[in-house]
Amino acid sequence: MTRKILTGIAGILVALLIGALIMLAEGYRPLATYAALFQFSLFGLSPLATTLKNSVPLILTGLSASIAFASGPVNLGQPGQLAMGALAATLGGLFLHLPAGLEIPLLALLAMAGGALWSGLAALLRIAFAMSEFIVTLMLNMIADFFTAWIIAFPLLDPKAFSPMTRQIDRAGWLGEMGGFSGSVLFMAAAVAMSWFVFRRWRAGYEWRISGQNSLFARLGGCNIDRNFVSVMLFTGALAGLAGGLVVMGGPHRFLKGLGANYAWDGVMIAIVAGSGLIATLLYGLFFSAIQTGSLGMELITDVPSEIAQVLQAVLVLVIVAGREFVRTALDRAEARRQARERAA
Amino acid sequence: MEDLVRLESIVKVYPPVVAVDDVSVSFRRGEIHAVVGENGAGKSTLMKVLYGLVPRDAGRIFLEGEPVNFRGPEEAIARGIGMVHQEILLVREYTVWQNVVLGREPMRALGRMDEAEARRLVGEKIREFQLNLDPDAVVGDISVAARQKVEILKLLYRNVSVLILDEPTAVLAPQEVPQLFAELARLRDNGRTVIFISHRLDEVLALSDRITVMRRGRKIDTVQAAATGKEELARMMVGREVVFSSRRTPRTPGVVVCEIDNLSVRGAGGRERLTGVTLRVRAGEIVGVAGVEGNGQLELVEAIIGLGKPESGSIRVQGRDLTDEPILERRRLISFVPQDRGRMGASLGASIVENAIMTHHRLDSRFTRLAGLLLDLPFARRFAQRVREEFSVSMSSERDPFRSLSGGNQQKVILGRELLLDCPFVLLDQPTRGLDVGSIEYVHQQVLGIRDENRAVLLVSADLEELFLIADRIVVMHRGELVADLPVEQATMEQVGSLMLEGRARAS
Repeated sequence: MTRKILTGIAGILVALLIGALIMLAEGYRPLATYAALFQFSLFGLSPLATTLKNSVPLILTGLSASIAFASGPVNLGQPGQLAMGALAATLGGLFLHLPAGLEIPLLALLAMAGGALWSGLAALLRIAFAMSEFIVTLMLNMIADFFTAWIIAFPLLDPKAFSPMTRQIDRAGWLGEMGGFSGSVLFMAAAVAMSWFVFRRWRAGYEWRISGQNSLFARLGGCNIDRNFVSVMLFTGALAGLAGGLVVMGGPHRFLKGLGANYAWDGVMIAIVAGSGLIATLLYGLFFSAIQTGSLGMELITDVPSEIAQVLQAVLVLVIVAGREFVRTALDRAEARRQARERAA
Repeated sequence: MEDLVRLESIVKVYPPVVAVDDVSVSFRRGEIHAVVGENGAGKSTLMKVLYGLVPRDAGRIFLEGEPVNFRGPEEAIARGIGMVHQEILLVREYTVWQNVVLGREPMRALGRMDEAEARRLVGEKIREFQLNLDPDAVVGDISVAARQKVEILKLLYRNVSVLILDEPTAVLAPQEVPQLFAELARLRDNGRTVIFISHRLDEVLALSDRITVMRRGRKIDTVQAAATGKEELARMMVGREVVFSSRRTPRTPGVVVCEIDNLSVRGAGGRERLTGVTLRVRAGEIVGVAGVEGNGQLELVEAIIGLGKPESGSIRVQGRDLTDEPILERRRLISFVPQDRGRMGASLGASIVENAIMTHHRLDSRFTRLAGLLLDLPFARRFAQRVREEFSVSMSSERDPFRSLSGGNQQKVILGRELLLDCPFVLLDQPTRGLDVGSIEYVHQQVLGIRDENRAVLLVSADLEELFLIADRIVVMHRGELVADLPVEQATMEQVGSLMLEGRARAS
């Protein structure tokens, strides 16, 4: 555990250092750039609130990928599940008119159902026809992408709009702000806590974890591998769907073109950096959000382009993933040499 | 006789384990030198250090008095040191001579292999060492013993003067061992040095000139084979006296618990792997399944536990037909210790508790709360401690990863988990494979204990000695068929050995 935290921090520092070298080579001032980056993402209530709000889809899709990877299924359908979740929440918000206290939880549930429907389809194809969920979820991403694009361009197009988007959802479904912080953060926190509890404390979560590590052992132990596969797919699809719903409810309040952006792929990347750990996904999700959020503000007061955030992310991923293995072998090697010396003496 | 290879103060650490701890030993030209020790004593690691397969952390190696430092097997082979591993690594589709020359083919112009010359060279080596191999046989068709010879031939073709063999008899039937030994003796008489890793003391005493005993990474002693005996070697290996005789007390078995009728299994490609197996196991009885590996034992075990679907036949335990039941239903009646701990018996990365509660978490409601929704973690931890106490597992905390346990302790946890399921039928697939002598003794004691609790035990083992030590009846498998069913009192090792090799037809 401590080793994980230390390699994480060391990885981040090394990545920032490499980023600084790149900036130097390009003729920018790294210290001022970093100061601006974090000034607009961490220091102060409003930057922090923005970072938290932006982290919601990253963390939820990251959590979806982490739980799937740690349990076995290669669910790479977070982009499609997010889109379907957003669509389900939008549909609910357009046609349901309930008091906010009912409307908001209902839309969140609809979003989860939309995501779960999409991942459930992949699970079904796996169980019925032994089709690899790896390829099916990827393909379903395309279908969801074009399907939602068609929905918002034709049947649900807002007549007053100049680009593909739906009308705004019922005001009762808008996630307001509480003390400057978006209500979607609350949902995200609840989802993270619930996921952790299911994954670490439920009997189902125990079986998921063991199956992810050694599925033959779990099977011989009496776990129902197929049923667990389906439940993991549904659970992780629901998480990605919730991400989509919260983006709609907390942001533009409608489904507009390019809504999902790169959230889901960034989420998958975060899961990989986090080594599929749940708490690590939360922390890296916050950090990546800070970089992305800060980069926009940084662009305003320095002449460094906001693309530097992408460079930083890429370096971070490489340094942390490669560094993890390197540190492990290096520590083992050092320990071996120490003991050998002791024995020789 | 001069020292050909000298190892000096070799240390190899796999944190936190010191695999080889300051070992110095020398090997002479033209001797057969056995390295013996329990599993995990460091024999294989020491040899891999010599062979350049693993880097050493301290120490020096001398070849003919000159310090050497092999960075890989190629360099070791180039200097005349070769090793045959436990797993045989050959191209099944190639012939013997093709396998032997692979990587060092005699060439003609334009990068074409000189096949005639290659065949001739291989044939020459076979004659020189009287290996009794057909150079044109396809490796996939020949016996395991013959494949092993091909591995040795590969090294001879590369003109090595030191051959290291890692447990060469582990894959052989008893009848095949003398021939291997005759061949190894011939190599020695031709001036080669044979280093022979083993933990079978009878073989070591029969074959070797000198014996080096290792225990827990340290060298205990190097002795002349002629001047020692089995008891002394065992004492050096284990550090205390070891019992070699059976402690089985005769018992009248009770009712039939497990009935297997006419069981047939087809493998991939439609080949029949199990043919019409009928078997009964009674309460209070240990039935041993003997056979050369790959003769249907694995298929039998998989069919019983529910991994494979039988083509025909039935499996019943306590009268209940399990043939088409899911694994969980079978596990209510069958305790199962698989042969491959890391792959089938445990999740190495999970904690000890998580490994200990598998199957219990589904069958015993005390392990869960809220109608099976939540795991009862405190109860699970207490259960892991109970396993620790009742099966004398040495571990520091039950929350440690399973892989931090030694092999023997891992097996004790698995055994404890399975036996505490209290199933009437216990299926054991090579339960002592890869364990040290002390742990083997422990497992045997436990197995005899559950027999005395009137449970029915089916024990699959490649180790004949083990079967004769604890089984009440021995059935022999050959090419997917049960070819014999003998009470242990009426069977001899030689008889079972020839049944294993040749089946029913030529045995009598």
